[in-house]
Amino acid sequence: MEHASATPHPDAALLRPIENPGRTFYYMVGILLVIILYTGFVYIRQLWYGLGVTGMAQPVTWGFYIVNFVFFIGISHAGTLISAILRLSKAEWRRPITRMAEVITAIVLAIGGLHPIIDLGRPDRMMHLFYNGRLQSPLLWDVTSITAYFTASTVYLYIPLIPDIAILRDRGVKPRWLYEFLSWGWQGTERQHKVLDRAMNILMVMVIPIAISVHTIISYIFAMTVQPGWHSTIFGPYFVVGAIFSGIAAILVLMIVFRKVFHLEGYLKQIHFNYLSILLLIMSLIWFYFTFSEYLTGYYGHEPNEMRVFWYKFAGDFAPFFWAMLACNFAIPVAILCNSKTRTIPGILIASLFVIVGMWLERLIIVVPSLANPRLPYPTGIYIPSHTEWMLFLGGLSVFILGYMIFARFFPVISIWEIEEGRHESTRLVTERIRSYMPDMEPSTGQE
Amino acid sequence: MSKKTIEALQILSISLIWVLFIGIAVWIVNLIKESLKLHDAPDASVGISIVAIPVFFILASVLTYVFIGLRKGREEDSEP
Amino acid sequence: MKWGMVIDLQKCTGCGECAAACKRENNVAIVAPKESEMGRTMLWMDMLTIYEGEYPRLRVRQIPRPCMHCDHPPCTKVCPVRATYINEEGIVAQIYPQCIGCRYCMAACPYTVKSFNWYKPEWPPGMAQTTNPDVSVRPAGVVEKCTFCIHRLQIAREQAKIEARDLREKDYQPACAEGCPTGAIVFGDLENRNHQVNQLAHSPRATKLLEDLGTEPKVIYLKEVD
Repeated sequence: MEHASATPHPDAALLRPIENPGRTFYYMVGILLVIILYTGFVYIRQLWYGLGVTGMAQPVTWGFYIVNFVFFIGISHAGTLISAILRLSKAEWRRPITRMAEVITAIVLAIGGLHPIIDLGRPDRMMHLFYNGRLQSPLLWDVTSITAYFTASTVYLYIPLIPDIAILRDRGVKPRWLYEFLSWGWQGTERQHKVLDRAMNILMVMVIPIAISVHTIISYIFAMTVQPGWHSTIFGPYFVVGAIFSGIAAILVLMIVFRKVFHLEGYLKQIHFNYLSILLLIMSLIWFYFTFSEYLTGYYGHEPNEMRVFWYKFAGDFAPFFWAMLACNFAIPVAILCNSKTRTIPGILIASLFVIVGMWLERLIIVVPSLANPRLPYPTGIYIPSHTEWMLFLGGLSVFILGYMIFARFFPVISIWEIEEGRHESTRLVTERIRSYMPDMEPSTGQE
Repeated sequence: MSKKTIEALQILSISLIWVLFIGIAVWIVNLIKESLKLHDAPDASVGISIVAIPVFFILASVLTYVFIGLRKGREEDSEP
Repeated sequence: MKWGMVIDLQKCTGCGECAAACKRENNVAIVAPKESEMGRTMLWMDMLTIYEGEYPRLRVRQIPRPCMHCDHPPCTKVCPVRATYINEEGIVAQIYPQCIGCRYCMAACPYTVKSFNWYKPEWPPGMAQTTNPDVSVRPAGVVEKCTFCIHRLQIAREQAKIEARDLREKDYQPACAEGCPTGAIVFGDLENRNHQVNQLAHSPRATKLLEDLGTEPKVIYLKEVD
């Protein structure tokens, strides 16, 4: 790729991945494309032969596809929720993080949203959902809310991206027509800034209830049945908490990776990791509180079918996964993140990776045990995922990485204009804000 | 690509977005109509779906607002 | 009119003829042994094995388990495309061309009565000609279950119309009820006082499976006397 305008920019590090992608980029893209192509082939095989190529059977009729559906959509809460909440609360340290978070959401929602389609026995009949959808079914609620969330988060990603696209357009980065097209005539005038601010304000408020509703409705897919282990009122908030938890872990991993690969040490400082990792710690504790509450309630009630599922998780076939989940989601992150000596970037990376694995295990533990233990006296179900399911999992992850890499190739992964705005405005804004909460001094003349 | 073509493409993309969102709204209305006909959906889900429709319209409106606002906010010496 | 079934466990010998008759009548696919071990056997009428007590006082019972045709079916509530629904006569029906194979109804059914076509059904050589022409053969990727042989109801109604008479109790009997050698399975209109099911449903031995879930199943079991 040609070099763009040679004028140095104060944020050259953010522009370098776009203007000078380097060979490693293309090697990685190549490898990912190979994996994805093979995954496509595996999926076509599933379309041809039927879902029999998976490991699902009665009674475990839902497996990896639904687990990954919930998992990917869960990670999407990273983006919009964090970026929207940090913007709303005017936290100045959000500036390098918001763009990365928003991109995670957009890509991961697309992947997660495709998973129920992969899981269908007759995906060719998918249009039935649109022609004869039934509003009574939680799956339909899901289709609606995920559509709403995907569109909202894409718009919420795009609008703050416009000034950065204009920077790239002005530097003559190729393909020029793309940046011209997408920048919508941005020039940075004051009126334009006002328009953008107003739009972002509306969106950041709107996106939060939509995001919360998405994962709540996903939990309703399980909670609205009468199956033991699923029919629990805590599922709505439990899933939202889990989603935010896994989302923060995902952002942390991405931040650490990009910091290393793009040399962003000047932008992603220790304090960003410190704050986000404390948020991760808090979410870990909240997650544990919900999990504890859920299982204690089930155990105390001692309803026979609930107890079968309970012991299956605690001491039965699923025990290794269950205890691994508790270690990955609670024991290890809390141990690493509580202590400021271990709350270093490598420590945070380890904690976040464990959380991501742990949250995936949590989805597995929610989906399979309730299905494996039917109420009627059938033998306990056994689910062994097949090669197809593993490949589609790997393929989904590869699509995520590839999608992100392509985004990072064309758009800056840290919001350049917001960093600039931060350099000029942050100190003043924060000083004013702090002054406004300082207590008033006694008036020396006794007059107000 | 000429400026005119790019502008035309931008206006086309906004129109397509409106078409998409109106399509989604029509679809949700259809779901609600069928649900009322068969009378088996809990009223809550009908209510929530009714709330979903304005969400899409707000999104399309915000995009249109930004598009028109950015064009108007341009300095006079650029293209009309 | 509310179609229901009574299964007298005192008369049931656990022979499994109901299960076999159902498979023959409804073109239920035969599944390869490896698939069957995984749990993909397709039995619309299944035989539940219940072990009671411990050796040497071990007691093994086989109980026929069709679809319960609940009056408040958990499966129809969750189907996103109305491929399963309950009709005015109380039969929970499946619309095979409508089913998208999401298997939500399978996950929601507390009795696990539904089967899924994991592969395209294949018949051993020569058996394809023996399928029942009155029942459609399902493609891969759709969910199916016991329908109380609703095709027989349609045929019986047409016959009654031709003969300008009402439907009689013995005109419409599902294959399992017809095939049961001891007469343990009785089928009919639960709201018609002349039908046997109506009388048996009020027997003091009558019980239903998982009654406390509120699904109101229309398959009633008569407990054994000894």
